[in-house]
Amino acid sequence: MREADIIVVGGGPAGVSAAVEAAKSGLSVVLCEQRPALGGAIHRQPAEGAAPVAALPSLARRWQSLSAKLSASRVEVRTRRAFVGIDSTGAVLIDDRAAGKVEVRRPRALILACGAVERVRPRPGWHLPGVAAAGGLQVMLKEGRVPEGRVLLAGSGPLLLALAAQMTAAGNPPVAVVEEGDPVSRPLAATRLLTHPFILPDMAVLMMPVLLRRFLWRRGTRLTEITQSADMLSARLRAPDGREERFEVDRIGLHDGLRANDFGLTADPPSGLVILRAGDLREVLGAHAAEADGAEAGREAAARLEGRPSCGSRSAMRRHRALQHRLSRIFAPAQGATVLRDCPDETVICRCEGRTIGHLKEQLAGPDAVSARELRLNGRFGMGACQGRFCSEWALSLMSELRRSAGVPASPPDFAETGVCRWPLRPVALSSLANAGIYDDTRTERHIEGISA
Amino acid sequence: MREQHSSPPVIVIGAGIVGTATAAFLAMAGTPVRLLDASAPASGATGAADGAVSVASKRPGPMMTMARAGAALYRELAGQGLFQGLFHKRPTFLVAASDAEADVLSDHSKALGEVGAPVRWLTRDGAADRLPSLTRKVVAVLEVEDEGHAIGYSIVSRLISAARLKVERYCPVASLEYEGRSGRVSGVRVGGAVIEASAVVVAAGGGAGRLIGLPDVSRPRRGQQLVTERAPGLNAALPGSLLSCSYLLSKKHEGEKADARGYGVVIDPLETGQFLIGSTREEGRTIPENDIEAVAHLAASAQEMVPALGQLRILRCFAGIRTATCDGLPMIGRMPGTENLFVAAGFEGDGICLGPLTGRIMADLVRGEEPEMDVSPFDPGRFATGSIAA
Repeated sequence: MREADIIVVGGGPAGVSAAVEAAKSGLSVVLCEQRPALGGAIHRQPAEGAAPVAALPSLARRWQSLSAKLSASRVEVRTRRAFVGIDSTGAVLIDDRAAGKVEVRRPRALILACGAVERVRPRPGWHLPGVAAAGGLQVMLKEGRVPEGRVLLAGSGPLLLALAAQMTAAGNPPVAVVEEGDPVSRPLAATRLLTHPFILPDMAVLMMPVLLRRFLWRRGTRLTEITQSADMLSARLRAPDGREERFEVDRIGLHDGLRANDFGLTADPPSGLVILRAGDLREVLGAHAAEADGAEAGREAAARLEGRPSCGSRSAMRRHRALQHRLSRIFAPAQGATVLRDCPDETVICRCEGRTIGHLKEQLAGPDAVSARELRLNGRFGMGACQGRFCSEWALSLMSELRRSAGVPASPPDFAETGVCRWPLRPVALSSLANAGIYDDTRTERHIEGISA
Repeated sequence: MREQHSSPPVIVIGAGIVGTATAAFLAMAGTPVRLLDASAPASGATGAADGAVSVASKRPGPMMTMARAGAALYRELAGQGLFQGLFHKRPTFLVAASDAEADVLSDHSKALGEVGAPVRWLTRDGAADRLPSLTRKVVAVLEVEDEGHAIGYSIVSRLISAARLKVERYCPVASLEYEGRSGRVSGVRVGGAVIEASAVVVAAGGGAGRLIGLPDVSRPRRGQQLVTERAPGLNAALPGSLLSCSYLLSKKHEGEKADARGYGVVIDPLETGQFLIGSTREEGRTIPENDIEAVAHLAASAQEMVPALGQLRILRCFAGIRTATCDGLPMIGRMPGTENLFVAAGFEGDGICLGPLTGRIMADLVRGEEPEMDVSPFDPGRFATGSIAA
């Protein structure tokens, strides 16, 4: 019985390419993916019987090519296995959901490639039923479920247009895309995108339904409030000139960018285990960068285990970083950065436990300068099922906004200060923990159901 | 009070439940006080405690007697408003899973009866009726009333706001400063500066021994715990906390080895609808972190006791470091030979139950008033062998 040399967590482009590259060295590699199939968020595979959604031109065939390399490799693929953390002894904990037990594994190296999570900024009414993350709607669509009814997409970034184009192709274009930035007003910045020619076909696909006026594209416009009336959602929009407009819809998809999915991971893990981060989990640079970055991480892990000089400069990332930087400038909010403390006190920050901006202000109202950890514990921000994965960022930035407005200069406190860096990284059934056991090699077989070639 | 304003304040070192309660009761009595913490309030054992306000879990003797008074103070302060909404009355059920454990429990019930704790044995049918989620594989169940639950960090936060304290955070005390001849403490050293004090109360948990010149008086005992998701139905079906007799056994101090690990499971139904599952007792562990072996053991023990817990998800694991003294009793009182130096530390896992009472007693001692109960069994002088640095 022998433990794998390298465990790769995450079956998107970064994880798959990391596993494939690492296995070339002859080391044993296990790739764990929490979903029933590989692909990650970007190449989410359709549910059985559902028609696939067309990928963006630059991404088409990339997944087939990666999948083929994986099939030809010696990588052992294990699906339905969620990474739940690294314990104090350096054990890697993998929740085997089908078997109902936590596998306790001790590889020599761990490559974390769990992608990105979507940022959704708190706004009045964002917690109402029918409001979802736009990326969540996109995943739904890729799995074969087209979001029904009148749909409004709001926030900022190219994902909104990508989703709108895919919904249009699927037969239900959104009513409108409400974009805080105004990309058209920055032609100079837009021309700089020409230095990244591989995304031009993607841009053409994104812009086509806009040009064909299949949906409204409100630029420089902010969604300021969502209310519920009867069985409809009402979205209030504010244009750059201050004019207000309302849309009555069935669903709203919000999106404020992406963030590395490294929540809860400590910066200084137990010694004795080589840990590398790859893809969007290391730096959110998109699918192309993730594939290249994963390959470098795979090579670096193998080199370190074999005592060879590590080759990983990750220099190829510079170009991708420049592209992301340009995109974020193009999509910069036209009405200036939002200020959370200007939202009404009833605005929910923590959806798990229904904690609001008012609750947070109460915690900071006294003469005592409470710390980020006290705010979390006493205010119950980040104490619910998500453990702060979605709300900590906003609770902490509101805390520093309030501090600054009270004349206390403060940079946003670090996640680590709140005490959220610990396992389990996501909820685990108590019975699975009770059944936790050393991973038993004798019962394994090569799992290939995850690869759809 | 007027003349106190011209003299320096009392300095309390440590903003856990004991130090914060001491500072709060001093401030509420009009004594100027400064509360210093090496990091932030409730960041040590208080913030990682299970919140049991329990006489049932105490060892017979002075701790059990004091716990009875400690729990009574919680009820009183909840009624008066200070702890309103924070203290939740509920019984404790002590569960014996074997004949040997039932014998231990039988002795324990006598001791509880002697301090006046209301106890009653549940019959097999009675247990099945009152505790429908409890496994049928139990030999005996003892119900102890007048118990309750309070979350340590919430109590600390309430005391801070009620007494309008401004905690001096990230203010680690390097040493105490003594006056040359009198043997009195004159202040505390923080970084390069000395803060003057009319009296000093050391309530610094594991950091107390070093400050009072008794570095070897205590040792760390780690506890790991788990919190489930909300399960209102299952939670409502459990009227109080379940404490396995192995918990009582794990608290015994005799004959433990370094690195020894005790497991005694406690299942507490929280007000939120969640369950708290504790806890390990791990000798010599100083870092509050979780390992899968301990967590799996706790999960398995809890599931054995309440099988329906198996289907709930665990949201978080956490750990805390208790400070245990050599004889298992805390230090509460004045340091011998130093008339204005006081210590209140070494509560191991009993600080939540005893903290507010200890704070009130310490405030009385510092103000030169007669405390409400005899704390001579906890006299820190029992450890002093003339080696106290002066």
